[in-house]
Amino acid sequence: MDALILLGSFALLMMLGVPVAYALGASALIGAWWIDIPLDAVMIAIAGGVNKFSLLAIPFFVLAGAIMAEGGMSRRLVAFASVFVGFIRGGLSLVNILASTFFGAISGSSVADTASIGSVLIPEMEKKGYPRDFSTAVTVSGSVQAILIPPSHNAVLYSLAAGGSISISSLFIAGVMPGLLLGLSLVALCLYTAKKRNFPKGEVIPFKQAVKISIDALWGLMTMVIILGGILSGVFTATESAAIAVIWAFFVTMFIYRDYKWKDLPKLVHRTVKTVTIVMILIGFAAAFGYMLTLMQIPLKITELFSSLSDNKYVILLCMNVMMLMLGTMMDMAPLILILTPILLPVVKTLGIDPVHFGMIMMVNLSIGLLTPPVGALLFVGSAVGKVSIEALVKSLMPFFGVLLFVLAIVTYVPAVSLWLPRLLL
Amino acid sequence: MRETVLSVMDKLYLACIWVAGAAIFFMSLIIPWGIFARYVLGTGSRWPEPISILLMVVFTFIGAAASYRAGAHIAVAMVTDRLPPALKKFAAILVHVVMFLLSLFMLIYGTKLCLETMGQSISDLPWMAVGISYSPVPIGGLLTLLFVIEHILYGPQNARAVVRFDHDVDHGIDATTAAN
Repeated sequence: MDALILLGSFALLMMLGVPVAYALGASALIGAWWIDIPLDAVMIAIAGGVNKFSLLAIPFFVLAGAIMAEGGMSRRLVAFASVFVGFIRGGLSLVNILASTFFGAISGSSVADTASIGSVLIPEMEKKGYPRDFSTAVTVSGSVQAILIPPSHNAVLYSLAAGGSISISSLFIAGVMPGLLLGLSLVALCLYTAKKRNFPKGEVIPFKQAVKISIDALWGLMTMVIILGGILSGVFTATESAAIAVIWAFFVTMFIYRDYKWKDLPKLVHRTVKTVTIVMILIGFAAAFGYMLTLMQIPLKITELFSSLSDNKYVILLCMNVMMLMLGTMMDMAPLILILTPILLPVVKTLGIDPVHFGMIMMVNLSIGLLTPPVGALLFVGSAVGKVSIEALVKSLMPFFGVLLFVLAIVTYVPAVSLWLPRLLL
Repeated sequence: MRETVLSVMDKLYLACIWVAGAAIFFMSLIIPWGIFARYVLGTGSRWPEPISILLMVVFTFIGAAASYRAGAHIAVAMVTDRLPPALKKFAAILVHVVMFLLSLFMLIYGTKLCLETMGQSISDLPWMAVGISYSPVPIGGLLTLLFVIEHILYGPQNARAVVRFDHDVDHGIDATTAAN
């Protein structure tokens, strides 16, 4: 009954159209009233939820990515990717994916990736004879790499939602291989499609020009070196590396690339405040919701429920994946990470699954939800940037869904894909 | 009357954005300063961490109030979009009621929390009362409450020039989704 009140009121409020963050807060209050917990305790949970040093990494990573995305970084990454794969048949689709791999190493935002890489590449792909819907489908599915490849603010969210017991560094390093696996699988699909539909080859870029392009791009890619180098060497924490990434991104954009105008900075401030505070307040209210979940012993009950279904961990992982895929079609990634992690992690731990591994399963799984109707952030932004209808985009995404589900299956059932690298390096 | 109120609220909105913007600006300078002090000056300062957390609380609660006015918060519209007009209106009223009560809760219980913790100080910052560090919670609640009342009286304000000014039509980036 407790669970029904808490989860039911949350679902009801959300369906009514209350913003998800506030629906979490309001249902936590309803839950507290139901089991006679003083409302002051809910207030303490909310205030405490945003009072953590590791949380600072989220605004910093989003801001660094936003500065890079708007400051002409994507154009340079596209040029850099063309050096390596542009001359192959279907080259521009491969360039699209590789540019997203690079972009992912600077920013964790798949939406910024789709918006910035898409606005550079989709018109160019169309000019060279690629269908617009295919070009958009490549862009949005390639953008998912940004969520997996470090830095990933969604990985930071997962670590927070898990109560801070999982190190952000492990999650970052664990994301490398699943990210590259996704990139390679998408490349394979594009190569096959290019051959079948006879997409054009690009030109080989002369060596001198290639060197110039590479140097230009390396300024931005240094961000990745700063973040990973700093974390791996232990010189600074994830939060500190994120703050340095902001300063570096600002320096490169304003003083090296000089594409961004100083008079446009107020726009960047406005946009950043709105983009990031909606996630931060979500974290605060989700902390109160999580507090009520624990008080009502809901994670324990869910664990019992799952263990009554089966004692085979592969079957349970399958059930969880199906559940997350379904929820992912309807809800955004950040609230789902914050709500599902405290509920599912105890089940996962009972089964002996590494929480870092489960984090990767969750990232891949929920990022598929960003591409599916009725609610899919990447789908909406992709359709706006590529100027294609949602229906047409979903239709050309079909083979890409196949690739994403393949990657999800591999990441779910081959733990080494996620765990090998962090065990080697950390 | 309506125009006066709305223009005052515009100023309040801009104030929220700039306070939150200034908070994140200083946060991104303070943390690197802490690293610089640790490795270069060899004097590990204790203040950068608690000060940046304090700025983050300011950023979160003040900025989220502005995001409410901008209609930027993540919400699910797929159910209400399919409702008949009368039910849609009813759902909208319920949303207002929930938002009103929750902001009121933030204001009242936030103030209570601040008053109760006024006597304690942050361990790394002996001169700072815990109650002050929590003050953005009730202030953000009050600001959200004002924006909710404005919404109830005068309708949504997310299309006003001050709110729309950063929208980038070419990119199709919407604040609602850009954090994914």
